[in-house]
Amino acid sequence: MYVIFAIMLGLLVPYCIRVAVGPSVWDRLLGVNLISSKIIIIIILYSSLNDLPFLLDFAIFYALSGFIGTIFIALFFSDRDTKKGLGDRK
Amino acid sequence: MSILAYIVMGIGVAFMLLGVIGIFKPGKDFYYRILVACKIDTVGLLTLGIGLAIYHGISFFTGKMFLIVIMILVLNPFVAHIVARSASRSGYDSIGDSTDVDESAGEK
Amino acid sequence: MGGFLAELLLLVFLVLCALYIVFSRKIYRVIIFFAVFSLITSVIYLFLGAPDVAMAEAGISAFTTIFFIVCLEKYYSRGKDGRNEATAPVPKVPLRVLLPAILFVSGLFALFILYAPTGYPYTGLRDQYLRMFMRDVGGENAVTAIYLGYRVYDTLFEALLLVTAVVAVLHLSWYSEAAVPDGRHSELEDSRMAKFTMRIVCPMILLFGMYLVLNGHISAGGGFLGGLAFALILICRFFVVGIFDLPIKKALKLEEIVFVFIVILPIFAIFTGVVYHFWGNSVLFQTIYLIAMNALVGLKVAFGFFVLFYRYVAVERLPEEDDTEDVKEAG
Repeated sequence: MYVIFAIMLGLLVPYCIRVAVGPSVWDRLLGVNLISSKIIIIIILYSSLNDLPFLLDFAIFYALSGFIGTIFIALFFSDRDTKKGLGDRK
Repeated sequence: MSILAYIVMGIGVAFMLLGVIGIFKPGKDFYYRILVACKIDTVGLLTLGIGLAIYHGISFFTGKMFLIVIMILVLNPFVAHIVARSASRSGYDSIGDSTDVDESAGEK
Repeated sequence: MGGFLAELLLLVFLVLCALYIVFSRKIYRVIIFFAVFSLITSVIYLFLGAPDVAMAEAGISAFTTIFFIVCLEKYYSRGKDGRNEATAPVPKVPLRVLLPAILFVSGLFALFILYAPTGYPYTGLRDQYLRMFMRDVGGENAVTAIYLGYRVYDTLFEALLLVTAVVAVLHLSWYSEAAVPDGRHSELEDSRMAKFTMRIVCPMILLFGMYLVLNGHISAGGGFLGGLAFALILICRFFVVGIFDLPIKKALKLEEIVFVFIVILPIFAIFTGVVYHFWGNSVLFQTIYLIAMNALVGLKVAFGFFVLFYRYVAVERLPEEDDTEDVKEAG
């Protein structure tokens, strides 16, 4: 179980690299989505390891509220001509 | 019982590690990455949740965790769909096109 | 040991994210990295043993991302002139000016770590709080006992701050009745997948918010997070059908009425001790008081964030060019 916990923490490294170097903004959003799902798993494993089941409330709240920011950023960059700059709608 | 749980959890972790190869494979475009990464990520999380449920047996923990797994099963593909749809509507489609958003206007 | 290493790794991540945020020159990258920063911060709070704070961080990060991105959109949609005016060069501070200051601060920090007191003097206060909160305020969650019992003045002041913020946004935002009827629509309205997902997610959020509010005195969570969950439903509704048919004026009125009740309830329950004289120190009354206060705080936060979101994100229109000039000259 500790090994899985360590692997999940280690998986944050490539995802953060993807967020940092991703050639386009959507690659960065993909990285953010992956990081948030990994963090939910980290919370579940932490509460399972330390036998603290009330921490699962936090995981539920995170699963329910974490997606809204990502969707707003994606909608902001949708329908835009990326070659011409941010200000111009298609 | 716990050996079975560890095997199932190991399968889930293996899926997630394969997803890392998916998002760093050179020569592929964004749509390849998001297809591989989000599909494999959702499957891995589902498998890991089933493994944890087997590990804990029928308890309070398992019930709450199934709620979380159901939410992830609904929301994770939805977010991936929205991101891919946003990219597709902006006309970001060519392989090896490293066009970032032109932010010359955003420099301050 | 494992927990310590995990915390260390996450803290290193945090520092790297902070450096990226400070040194990046592109605004949208800063916003995306700020989302990652909030994620990692909330997990660190959780590892340090503060689930209430971690949940608050996670809920607020969703709202801050929305507000930042809407601010960016409004900034870019101002037109070419406004955009060119804003590109003033940022003066660069040379390193040799900053270096002595950094050395001085890090030296102070090292001295502080070296000579920090190894333990707190024992005054008995900690044991007294931990022993007495069950009897004095009731409930299982000591955090709830403190913010609704011992420190209820702080709660009142924070509620007042939220009212002030809402009123300020109402009066300072560019909002004209003529532009409202359709407002700003999201681009997901023709998406069947979004409708299907929200149909599943919205009842879950409502149920979970009610669970947080009603269990605020015996588990982590409480009124603020329940209110945030209620406000998230309205945002999800904005994605698929819009929120322009909801009575905004009534929501504002209800928020003020709820604030009055938040002030009145502790006056009767705690400050004057009227209830204590009649019913004594009963567990039933304490539980009713805690649940009622949590529900009131939750309703107030829900209405407040709904009004903020409605005015700031959904219906605010930028003024015409002439109005912009007037505002700039006046300011």
